[in-house]
Amino acid sequence: MPIDSFSQFKEHSVAEFFKKNKQMLGFSGKVRSLTTIVHEFTSNSLDAGEEVGILPEIFIQLEEEGDDKYKIAVQDNCGGIPEKYLGKALGQLLAGTKFHRYVQQRGQQGIGASGCIMYSQITTGKPAWVRSGYKNVIIECNIGINVSKNTPVITNLTKTMGEFSGLRIEAHLGDVRYENSGYGVYEYLKQTVLANPHAQIEFIAPDAQRYMFPRAVDVVPKPPIETKPHILGITANDLVEFSRRIKESRISAFLAEEFSRVSSNKVKELQELLPDIDFSQPPTSLNWDTAEKLIKAVHTLKWIAPATDILRPIGKENVARALQNILNPQFIAQSDRSPQIFHGGIPYQVEVAIAYGFTNGAHNRIMRFANRVPLLFDAGACGLTEAVKTIEWKRYRIDDFENMPIAVFVNFVSVHVPYTSAGKQAIALEEEIIAEVRNAIMEAARPVKGYLNGIVHLQERSSRRKVFLRYVAQLAGDMSELADMPKKKEAIKKGLVDLVEHRVGLIEEAEDAEAETAKEANAANGAVANGQENGNGKKDFEEKGE
Amino acid sequence: MGNQALKKLDDLGGKLIGEIEKQTSPSFETVVRSKGNIIFDQGVGYLRLGNKKEVRTFLNIAQARKFMQTIAIANKCRKFLVEGAHTSIRGLYYQLRFTLGEDIEEDLFDEQTESNPLIEDLEVALSVKREDLNLNTDRKGVAAGQFKLRDKFGGEDTLIDGTKQGRSGWSIPSDVDNGLDFEEVKAKYVLVVEKDAMWQRLNEDRYWQKENCVLVTPKGQSSRGCRRFIRKLMDKGLPCYVFTDCDAWGWYIYWTLKTGSMNLAYLSKELSLPETKFVGVTMSDIKNYDFLSKLTIRAKEIDVKRAEEMINYPWISKHKDWVAELKLVLKDKKKLEQDALQGPRLSFVSDYLKQKINEKRFLS
Repeated sequence: MPIDSFSQFKEHSVAEFFKKNKQMLGFSGKVRSLTTIVHEFTSNSLDAGEEVGILPEIFIQLEEEGDDKYKIAVQDNCGGIPEKYLGKALGQLLAGTKFHRYVQQRGQQGIGASGCIMYSQITTGKPAWVRSGYKNVIIECNIGINVSKNTPVITNLTKTMGEFSGLRIEAHLGDVRYENSGYGVYEYLKQTVLANPHAQIEFIAPDAQRYMFPRAVDVVPKPPIETKPHILGITANDLVEFSRRIKESRISAFLAEEFSRVSSNKVKELQELLPDIDFSQPPTSLNWDTAEKLIKAVHTLKWIAPATDILRPIGKENVARALQNILNPQFIAQSDRSPQIFHGGIPYQVEVAIAYGFTNGAHNRIMRFANRVPLLFDAGACGLTEAVKTIEWKRYRIDDFENMPIAVFVNFVSVHVPYTSAGKQAIALEEEIIAEVRNAIMEAARPVKGYLNGIVHLQERSSRRKVFLRYVAQLAGDMSELADMPKKKEAIKKGLVDLVEHRVGLIEEAEDAEAETAKEANAANGAVANGQENGNGKKDFEEKGE
Repeated sequence: MGNQALKKLDDLGGKLIGEIEKQTSPSFETVVRSKGNIIFDQGVGYLRLGNKKEVRTFLNIAQARKFMQTIAIANKCRKFLVEGAHTSIRGLYYQLRFTLGEDIEEDLFDEQTESNPLIEDLEVALSVKREDLNLNTDRKGVAAGQFKLRDKFGGEDTLIDGTKQGRSGWSIPSDVDNGLDFEEVKAKYVLVVEKDAMWQRLNEDRYWQKENCVLVTPKGQSSRGCRRFIRKLMDKGLPCYVFTDCDAWGWYIYWTLKTGSMNLAYLSKELSLPETKFVGVTMSDIKNYDFLSKLTIRAKEIDVKRAEEMINYPWISKHKDWVAELKLVLKDKKKLEQDALQGPRLSFVSDYLKQKINEKRFLS
């Protein structure tokens, strides 16, 4: 299997383009550049782990080497890269395994690791150092990029036999900055583990502080299944680009072979609708004009919906475990949404979890993910943020969303994530997607409301006890004097305290019995509470007085 | 009575402690004082509380604070009784306005409006008046006439002679029950006049001496002490006649004296004067005293409205003479002040009262 994934390299000479447009690819700003680099290396490791079925153990170290200069070391245990593909994988832009595949993966453009090595080279002039252990062969070398030719430059290569199975890259970086903020490497890695609970990440920060994000789940996610794009999810532009890269010699075969749900009958129907286009011509004959007509015709026909079983969500239980592991909240509630389709042909699924009540530090309020990749930047332009912001949180007893200890986790899963830019940090503000994300959030928020009601209920309980106990001393004093028995004050006080405890105990028992009945009715919500059970308490408990 | 109140407080304390020892919530019973439990009792002729009772208990979240506060009031009053010291309900409030403890951000009382109704609770629960708990109320009302009182107060024992009170009269105290006893009552009746000015006029005429009565003015609406003072005289067999303006306010003063009020329905037994009679001024006086017809005032809207309401009150509608009088008011839309009787000459008021009382020309 590993070999297969390396056989799909295609070359593109865009190294120059990258150099001039690196901000488009996430290399804008010093903090962001560093996070992007960590993201690219980490995603590569996670993808590799999935493909070879290994539980990833990723080690990342940052060392300061001067003003805005750092050295990064990233190491994984995910099978390594064979010598043959090493240069192409790391020393050539847009030459990854991902670019042409219609499959749910973390990166989608393969600018990844080689882009980072390029960045290293153009900001420090130094090549990266790589050690790859693949099938007991360990290769160590320096890798750089010939920018004008977009070809790898490999030097000082040594080859030894050894146990190491994985990849280690060390690179020098200039014009980057480490910052412990919501945009920084620490936050990125923490969220990465949240969305990849099968991974373990160890991080040593520039101040030598060591962070360990332990694994929460022992099962490697199944590798994503590659699929053909559904014809309804294709634009005229996609069609033209696609038509230049395929092997079929006729338009009819191109349509039938390269897209899902396009039968020969459907091709005939299209041909009948478009007598001006000769479907026996080679696909390269499609220009923008004819492609547009073709797509228009496609939208007039009925198609079988695309298969959705190719999606690989993190899974409800895994998300819950991850949140528990990393955030340790008091309460977690989750959505349970089925896959949906946008643009008529692209399957996607939304996973939402809401975590309430943190005990360990502050966290980003909205944690956005696309195919398990944390999106830390461009929050304002992102459809996921937009969806969270349009929720009426007060309806869920979250009266102050900005200040309450709450985090919303949203993972957008799709074979094609509609990013707003090549920086891949924001999901397009598409109405149908926002609506679905909203539904998912509201679904998750419902049990949160129940839980918060329960907390209020507990506070009511504790204040009830306090109300009585607060008056005991004064009352005992007055009573003993009133009865002309001042010496009895302490005995009376004790008697009153006992009475209060007994009384409050009876009230609480009655409440619990009531809550139990309510909870059974609500059990279908599937909320997970930590420590305290969700009381589902009635908001207004009627005092059972005399 | 003072000792009796003290015993009732001690008993309450003992009962509460007994309840705690029996592991039940300490509580006491009181009678509901809301409008729904106020009835006019035809048999006794005054407004009184009905039989609806409620329990004040500590182990009820809604009552815990009030219960504690009530017991604090009870204990404080007990101290006043033991020390023989009096204060006002405001003074009591200040005595109890302290924090519940260093670590408790709550005061025993925040406002006097909290303590006032609890004092009433205690009065009803123990069947005592606040005066019996050494809580003074505002003094209002003056008396003079054929009575002698022994006033034991502040360590002094003073004999008060109602005939020797000069031009100002004897000021009726808040508490006329504790440490105040009649030594001698020669008077044959009590005359209550609404206005202080009228009282001064009659006092100057030595009306009380000539008529052998006790002359009282409540100076408008009657205070608790004033009503209680009249009640005590009536308990000695004296009839009581009331002399007010012929208008809404005058009628109200009369009927409050006679049947008691909603607010103090819980004390009606001690304060109301159901046997009292109305001597004047009435609209029908015009028939007998011609000059009055020229001294009427146009009735105000409130007087007419009040007259309309009063006709329908069950305790008024059964008095035919009152109904006739009020119908006259409604017909003529006029009213009369008691001062008008000074029209012919200043001392005419005395003649008018003498005549009407001797001829027993009263409204009931």
